[in-house]
Amino acid sequence: MVDQQNRKVALRTRAAIRAGKAASGLSRVAGRGEGMVIGGQVILRVAPQAISQLAGGRVAALVSATNGKTSTTRLLATALEQAGPVVTQPTGANMSTGIVMALSGAAPDATVVLEVDEAYLPRTVTQTDPKLIMLGNLSRDQLDRMNEVAMTARKWRNMLADHPELTVIANADDPMIEFAAAQSPNVIWVAAGQAWTSDSSVCASCGALLSRSGSDWSCPGCNRRRPKPQWTLGPDRRATAPDGARFDLSKLQLPGRFNAANATMVLAAVSALGLDPGVATERMNTVTSVSGRYGTFEVGELRIRLLLAKNPAGWSELLDVMPPAPAPVIVTINSDYADGRDPSWLWDVPFEKLAGRTVIASGFRRRDLAVRLTHANVDHIVIADPYAPGANLPASAGDLDVIDCAATYTAFHQLRTTGVPL
Amino acid sequence: MSSIAIASIYADLLGTYGDGGNVLALAHRARLRDFDVQVIRVEPGAAVPTLADIYVLGGGEDTAQVAACEALRTDGALAAAGQRGAAVLAICAGYQLLGEYFPNAVGEPAPGLGLLDIRTDRLPQRAVGELATSPLQAGGSALLDRDRFTGYENHAGGTVRGPGISALARVDVGVGNGDGTEGSVSGHIVGTYLHGPCLARNPDIADQLLSWALGRELTELVEPEVAQLRAERFGAVSETRR
Repeated sequence: MVDQQNRKVALRTRAAIRAGKAASGLSRVAGRGEGMVIGGQVILRVAPQAISQLAGGRVAALVSATNGKTSTTRLLATALEQAGPVVTQPTGANMSTGIVMALSGAAPDATVVLEVDEAYLPRTVTQTDPKLIMLGNLSRDQLDRMNEVAMTARKWRNMLADHPELTVIANADDPMIEFAAAQSPNVIWVAAGQAWTSDSSVCASCGALLSRSGSDWSCPGCNRRRPKPQWTLGPDRRATAPDGARFDLSKLQLPGRFNAANATMVLAAVSALGLDPGVATERMNTVTSVSGRYGTFEVGELRIRLLLAKNPAGWSELLDVMPPAPAPVIVTINSDYADGRDPSWLWDVPFEKLAGRTVIASGFRRRDLAVRLTHANVDHIVIADPYAPGANLPASAGDLDVIDCAATYTAFHQLRTTGVPL
Repeated sequence: MSSIAIASIYADLLGTYGDGGNVLALAHRARLRDFDVQVIRVEPGAAVPTLADIYVLGGGEDTAQVAACEALRTDGALAAAGQRGAAVLAICAGYQLLGEYFPNAVGEPAPGLGLLDIRTDRLPQRAVGELATSPLQAGGSALLDRDRFTGYENHAGGTVRGPGISALARVDVGVGNGDGTEGSVSGHIVGTYLHGPCLARNPDIADQLLSWALGRELTELVEPEVAQLRAERFGAVSETRR
């Protein structure tokens, strides 16, 4: 009886996938993006249990964080390919629709790793029964849509209470992550750093103010403290394993300290899955751009390096990746649903660090950005479309071979799809 | 007096929605008029200055709000400053904690500082979106009564004023206090749900706080980029009236 029931569900899921792929294909042909969302919607409407049906024990890892989940997922997928084919989302589509599309395209013997939106992580854990999950960081992002940070941490904590079997790779330096992950009996702690501490100044458990000294932190109220990390990343960009083995991450092509930290998390995951972190390091060095992030594109008259910058914590790290002043930069701010409707987070970004350059302010919320830059004493020009022929760009922009463009999600996506990859 | 001391209160606890921009906006508009500005950033554990001219509190998450309120009660200086007539701007969670009580993380009333005669309970539904208001013309303050205000709200609290306390404005679009009014004004204390940040999008409120602090009227000052942003925001809400 149960078998018959299961077979029915499986048949329904197969029919749903055919319908979803058709919808996705139509959407692509119609030039409406990659069709992940519409395809996924169709599948889930016809077969609401499709994700659990399709997961089928193939899911090795789920990756979630406020920042870096797409890059970390790509690094992990590349590292795990040492053992055979790995399937993940081709774009950053990380909610149920993108997840079901990725699963529906995966060969039966493939290993699956998935990037998961913070709010979708608890249900996705239940649906896909992964071997491990990676929890990178939590900070303010899209507060019009998301829970506040402590609320997300509490939900993750409850999720881990329900799933003691999971192996958790967690960032020991982020007190919000520690609060969630410490609930699990199987945590591998990684010192992945935290450049932005403003969302974890209060203990998520007792409400007391955390004491901090460098990357160390502790709670005077309930004695929570930074766990001793098993994996660490040194200033020389070398990661150290629990057994003392060292891995050189300085040859990663993805820029910035934060990507070396993402790679350290991946090494911990690779080891936990029984694979070789040395081979993983070599493989990760081959990743040059991730779904357009850090890629170079020709857009209109300009050659740009595309950066995704969507919240204060991400910006805090990206400002150090940009070439020094006086190189001008383009900043494009939108406030569609996927960007967050409220761009007041611009005031939490230390844009003062851009002093000495001209910022080209664009996007639908370029006026918010212009007012913010005025208050930061940063020179700027407001241009609706800097890529249009004859756009009034500063002369210094023409002197650059490639100009950095930091954009919020929808602007980033538009540039990535309209630009010509170089 | 040509120097202004601005105390930024617990920005790590009360600054979740870019509210740190309010301090930048106050300093910016004071400096454009050639006043000296001193910004004192106070984090919990350090003493709140007793003699600052303007005190600024932002919004924050539930647990941070309770922690901030308790630290301020222990410290005592903010309540004393409010009572002596110092200018205070308090946004969202900061606004709520100046009142008699506000909801804590589990929705139970937590005692506030009692500096404003307001009480805050949970709204049936969280208020998230653009907030636009019109002047009440209550005759309290020329600068607070002459133009519309624009901002973004993101809160779960409905605030009821006591009999002796005026609202800041009337809601055109959004929720505000929850009864058709937005914010509160009492003496030199302004409380509001306007993020954005409030003072970057509403320079009249910034100028009113500066004017109270200096004890005199200020010269008119219009920044074109701010005027353009305001026009854009009022245009956006008129298209999407809720």
